[in-house]
Amino acid sequence: MLPPRNRFGAFSLAIPLLTLALAQFLAGCEHAKLLRPQVLKQLDTDVAALVNELPEMDHQNKAIIGRLFAQGGLTRASLGEDGIMRGRIRIPANEYIWKPAIVVMPQGGVLELDVANEDVAHHMMYMPHNGEREVLDLPAQTRGIIRVQLDQPGYYWFGCPVANHATRGMLGLVLVKGEVPPGAKLDRPPQPRPPEGRDRHAH
Amino acid sequence: MHTKLLLGLALALFAAGCATSHPDLPITQQQRSLNDFDRTQRKTAPPVADAVTGERIMRARSEPHNWLTYYGAYDGQRYSALDQINADTVARLKPAWIFQAAPIGLISSPATFALEAAPIVVDGVMYLSGWDGQVWALDAATGDLLWRYHHAIPLDLPLCCGNVNRGVAVAYGKVFYSSPNGHLVALDAKSGKVVWRQAWLDPRAGESSTMAPLVVKNMVIVGSSGAEYGVRGHIDAFDSQTGRRVWRRYAVPKPGEPGSDTWGANDAWQRGGGSAWITGTYDPQLNLLYWGTDNPSPDFDGRMRPGDNLYTNSVLALNPDDGSIRWHYQFTPHDVWDYAGVNENILFEQDGRPLLAHFDRNGYLFILDRRTGERLRVTQFGERVTWGRIAPDTGRVSDRQEPTREGKYICPGPAGAKEWTHAAYSRKTGLLYTPVIDLCGTFKLIETPFEEGLGYWGGDFIATPEDAKGGYVKAFDPASGKMIWSTKFPFPMVASVLATAGDLVFAGEPNGDFDALDARNGQVLWKFKTGSGIHSSPVAYSVRGKQYIAVPTGWGGWLKGFAVDTFGASRGSAVVVFALP
Repeated sequence: MLPPRNRFGAFSLAIPLLTLALAQFLAGCEHAKLLRPQVLKQLDTDVAALVNELPEMDHQNKAIIGRLFAQGGLTRASLGEDGIMRGRIRIPANEYIWKPAIVVMPQGGVLELDVANEDVAHHMMYMPHNGEREVLDLPAQTRGIIRVQLDQPGYYWFGCPVANHATRGMLGLVLVKGEVPPGAKLDRPPQPRPPEGRDRHAH
Repeated sequence: MHTKLLLGLALALFAAGCATSHPDLPITQQQRSLNDFDRTQRKTAPPVADAVTGERIMRARSEPHNWLTYYGAYDGQRYSALDQINADTVARLKPAWIFQAAPIGLISSPATFALEAAPIVVDGVMYLSGWDGQVWALDAATGDLLWRYHHAIPLDLPLCCGNVNRGVAVAYGKVFYSSPNGHLVALDAKSGKVVWRQAWLDPRAGESSTMAPLVVKNMVIVGSSGAEYGVRGHIDAFDSQTGRRVWRRYAVPKPGEPGSDTWGANDAWQRGGGSAWITGTYDPQLNLLYWGTDNPSPDFDGRMRPGDNLYTNSVLALNPDDGSIRWHYQFTPHDVWDYAGVNENILFEQDGRPLLAHFDRNGYLFILDRRTGERLRVTQFGERVTWGRIAPDTGRVSDRQEPTREGKYICPGPAGAKEWTHAAYSRKTGLLYTPVIDLCGTFKLIETPFEEGLGYWGGDFIATPEDAKGGYVKAFDPASGKMIWSTKFPFPMVASVLATAGDLVFAGEPNGDFDALDARNGQVLWKFKTGSGIHSSPVAYSVRGKQYIAVPTGWGGWLKGFAVDTFGASRGSAVVVFALP
């Protein structure tokens, strides 16, 4: 048994560590954000059924053959001081998935992705771009940078054009938020937009 | 024990933190354009577009080997003076080359893509746009791909009716293209590289773009799409060198502006529709631009917009220098059938008088004096027309049959007795030729609250294959308004017709047949099965003395509105070009 002062010393170390960890957890962690009411209220029966089914479904060659493409998760591209939005994507081994598979751009502009292919298979990233589609060739266990321009709000797809990789899980989306420039707006008062969550809990 | 637990929890929380690890692989891979994976492309086009100017386009009739602007010339006649391919030789017409395009991956509105362009041809180079943001420069004699441009198009773009684009404009060394998501892009005509880009539409407001720009003087003129989403439609002019906007003309006036008293005293004007998605025609002598406007919004429910709803369903005669309206003529006052007035306005002369011919979706042919908009003649050209009667002498509409909650059977369908696909005028026969749709159906009224970015139809149109009675190509004498001949086809005719000095009228069918008709009597002289339905604007040109006929093919668009009986027909996407052996 440890002497009391030693016990007290370890305890005094644990308290600030725990506080720090909790602060980090609550401030930045996606898990903590799940507890927000606007997130929880999305868990209607249909969404709960989806989440409950995923452990059975979302693996290579389990209940279905491939993966559900959106299950790589999401990343928010960070806006750099140079005006370029940046994000990072991995291709984990034997998963046939982009991780994350959804990239959110806070506004239209230039997106730069750092993409690492950890897989033992060859992959390619086929990206939309104003000009012509851009391609990042990623032989097994290589990494590269791809930069594209997407100026208008909406969502765009990207994927791996090798064999059936895209529809076996390697489909991804770039979501561009924001509005068009003021000069492209209609001259009229602000109009009502569709309300949020109209069909939630409509069962 | 508590201490160990606390330390363990702290570590677990750190581990569960949000920083994601990135593997320690060196960065070795560089991106490349898809064009770099295509060594079949020449990557460059000869500098033929450098010498094309607004002045030269005014004289387009003096160079029949080219198809310099959307309709071939500013007059909208879709007439070619080339006659190597003619009523005597057409039987020997054979494919010269085929250009094909197919999607890699996903595209917006995936069941609707179609090639709808009128290819532009300048001294042996063909420029055209396709679905989903694509622009190509081709060798007009061989079909070789010279360069390709692709604009990134979001999958969720509000496209009411099709992932389509009707072409480009070429002048001043540039190719002008309006992307579906509302960027006007000037490309270097030699390389396909962007010279300037201008965002001019708001997809969040339901706007999009489908039309071919028109170069007039030093300006590029475009019109918006989106009247099915309750937009406020407009026509914009941009400086061709810089992309700076010169003017914008809204088709729906604000309160207090001329025409605003035709909307009722509410805010319906704010989402009144009236987009302008078909390229206008232009009379350089009168310096007037003739531009059609779309239906008012919501399409089928007029109760919140009492009045004529100017300037929807109209032709606007605009001063191209400032966008001001010189005169207007409204074809369907207070439209509740989606009989958009965007169809082309063909300019021609009769007994020295400058006239304008317009085959409206509402089933009537209008002949106007294009100096003033004075109505000279109104003639029914549609087969079954029951929405109302237009008096030939006064132009007044009577006996209106409007959509009801229960549904009312009305003719023609919402894409009209003639869709946007264009008529032609032969300078040789002096006749007008038009494709015709014979479709009726049930127009139903459904209360629809307005929400920006969502469809704002105010109802629905229901038709079955039994309601479709095929189509026609018809010839009319503009002097009398009388029909000269009519040729029936098994399916609705929804490709632009092309008239040539070879006494031929070319027409395309939904079953993929491309036909040459005798311009004098409508007899089908030649047919070729292209393999997919035709919903585009064929053109004529020649290179080194050899005449070609080019037709973009590929079935798509708003089939519900005009060809309900062919939704399942073969799809494809190709430009098929014909010549004599």
